Amino acid sequence: MMELPLGILWFGAVIVAMLDGTRRRNAVLSIVILASALVSTLVLGADVYRNGTQEMVVGGWEQGVGISLRIDTLGIIFAVLSQAVLLAALVFETANGIKARIFPALVLFMGLGLTGVFFTGDAFNFYVFFEIAMISAYVLASYGETPRQFRSAFIFIVVNLLGSMLFLISIAALYHTTGRLDMVGIKAQVPLVAESPIVLISATIFVAFGVKLGLFPFHFWLPAVYTGTRASVVAILSGALANIGSYGLIRFGADVLPRELEFGAPVLLILGAVSIVYGGVQSISRHSANEVLAYSSIGQVGYIMVALAIGGEAGVFAAILYTVINGLNKALLFLAVSMRGWLVGTAFAIGAFSVAGVPPAAGFLGKLVLFQAAIEDGSWAIVVLVLLGGGLSFLYMFQLYRRRFWIAGEEEEESAHLPQVIVVGMAVGLLLIGLWPQPLLELADQAVLGIMGTDTAP
Amino acid sequence: MILALSLGVAVLFGAGAYLMLKHDLIRLIIGMVLISNAANLFIMSAGLTNGAAPIYPLGDETTDPLVQAMTLTAIVISFAVTALVLSLAYRVYVSHLSVDIRELSRAEEMQADRDDEVGQPDPEKLGAPYTDAEGDRRTVAQPPNKEAQR
Repeated sequence: MMELPLGILWFGAVIVAMLDGTRRRNAVLSIVILASALVSTLVLGADVYRNGTQEMVVGGWEQGVGISLRIDTLGIIFAVLSQAVLLAALVFETANGIKARIFPALVLFMGLGLTGVFFTGDAFNFYVFFEIAMISAYVLASYGETPRQFRSAFIFIVVNLLGSMLFLISIAALYHTTGRLDMVGIKAQVPLVAESPIVLISATIFVAFGVKLGLFPFHFWLPAVYTGTRASVVAILSGALANIGSYGLIRFGADVLPRELEFGAPVLLILGAVSIVYGGVQSISRHSANEVLAYSSIGQVGYIMVALAIGGEAGVFAAILYTVINGLNKALLFLAVSMRGWLVGTAFAIGAFSVAGVPPAAGFLGKLVLFQAAIEDGSWAIVVLVLLGGGLSFLYMFQLYRRRFWIAGEEEEESAHLPQVIVVGMAVGLLLIGLWPQPLLELADQAVLGIMGTDTAP
Repeated sequence: MILALSLGVAVLFGAGAYLMLKHDLIRLIIGMVLISNAANLFIMSAGLTNGAAPIYPLGDETTDPLVQAMTLTAIVISFAVTALVLSLAYRVYVSHLSVDIRELSRAEEMQADRDDEVGQPDPEKLGAPYTDAEGDRRTVAQPPNKEAQR
């Protein structure tokens, strides 16, 4: 049961890779595969929710010998989020007509890589799945095959490959210092070994995931890539692939290396604050829609950093919620901004409200939880910062809305029907989360318990 | 042995980082290859024990097989990525007739200026057409540097 989502995606991806993805029949097949993987992940999630964390060792090896899969609520949340975003982007692109035969297979491979990253309990296996997702992203970045997309794909590969290498080096260093590769074992060993090498390793891991996330000093690749690629690919990169970065920071930071996360909290706080302000100011000064949204993602990542810097159960809780909501926001906005029509305009407005943190939309929830964490922590500077960031995002989102949907050029036709339905569906989802947040809150709460539960006990 | 390995890793990483600052895409890719090899060497050095072969241990001490397995995996991954990057560099060359980063950034700047005028980039209207089953040939046959000429 546990390996079912991975198995479906793995075999599905290989089969679809041999078919011509530009044919609608094959694209529909890949949608069915991805949807069934999502359903099986949901079923698995219900099981994990009721019975707690599940573990299994691949290949029938003994515990501690083979590579382990370890599925907790945190992994389920991220897997469902990523697969849902991938599914939306795949349906969107199918409705618009897929232009490259490999596209559906790449989306499935990325789904496999992401699901594997979120389900694995082994640090090196994490790297392997991570590379599966990254390599499909490298190819996807050049999807569309204009000179510009080749350029942005090249930047994307070079920067992210460097990040992957740093991550690989830090895993080898973790293995060297703790003698373990399974995350539970590393977590148990870290307090027993010398502190200074672990701090160095944690810094390297932070840089590696900072590159993936596009956090402030490592953001330079992000605008070029996000403006160059096609709407569905940007939605995948920002809504699904970027989750690796935040998941990695939560998993390796809050779960495996909590002491080092606390030690580095001031750095996270400063970088997060700079990201929020820098992203906001840059977004206001930009004109092209994708560029505004790209800088906006740099700013939004800052909130996740700030939440992690606050630390404790409240901070990690806020970081998880914010990542989920931000992923949905960005996928919706990048898809909506490429289309025209009043329905899409409404959906975009809901996404914009969500980014700005205005009540009915889900973004309000993220900001609210972050506020609570900051007030609990007693740091008023963070409260002011979140307010300032919210003001900035309100400004640039509605500048963009005005430019794209109010003073629309008449020569542009309204987009096709099905893509609009998808975008509206995502917007309704955001509203639902905003209006009825209880399930998500409860899940995030359980995820935090799964990570920190053993940690807070004496 | 530890000193020699760490020097080796340092030299490989340093040379790779130096090459990555060059203007030439091919040098940049070679720099990436060197850095990934530095990482591989680093993994090997992470499990540095001197002992018998781990497949059928007779003595007291065996070498650590795990780092070798990890290095092998990492080599395969970096090999695949290198092949991918090289093919992408070829496509960049075909569409720009140059592998100089300065040329590419000039094209990028012109693109950014155009975006500011239009407001929203439209990938379908930029440069080469999409590729389909026989698209490769079409893209190659296209007049290169189309963006720069506009």
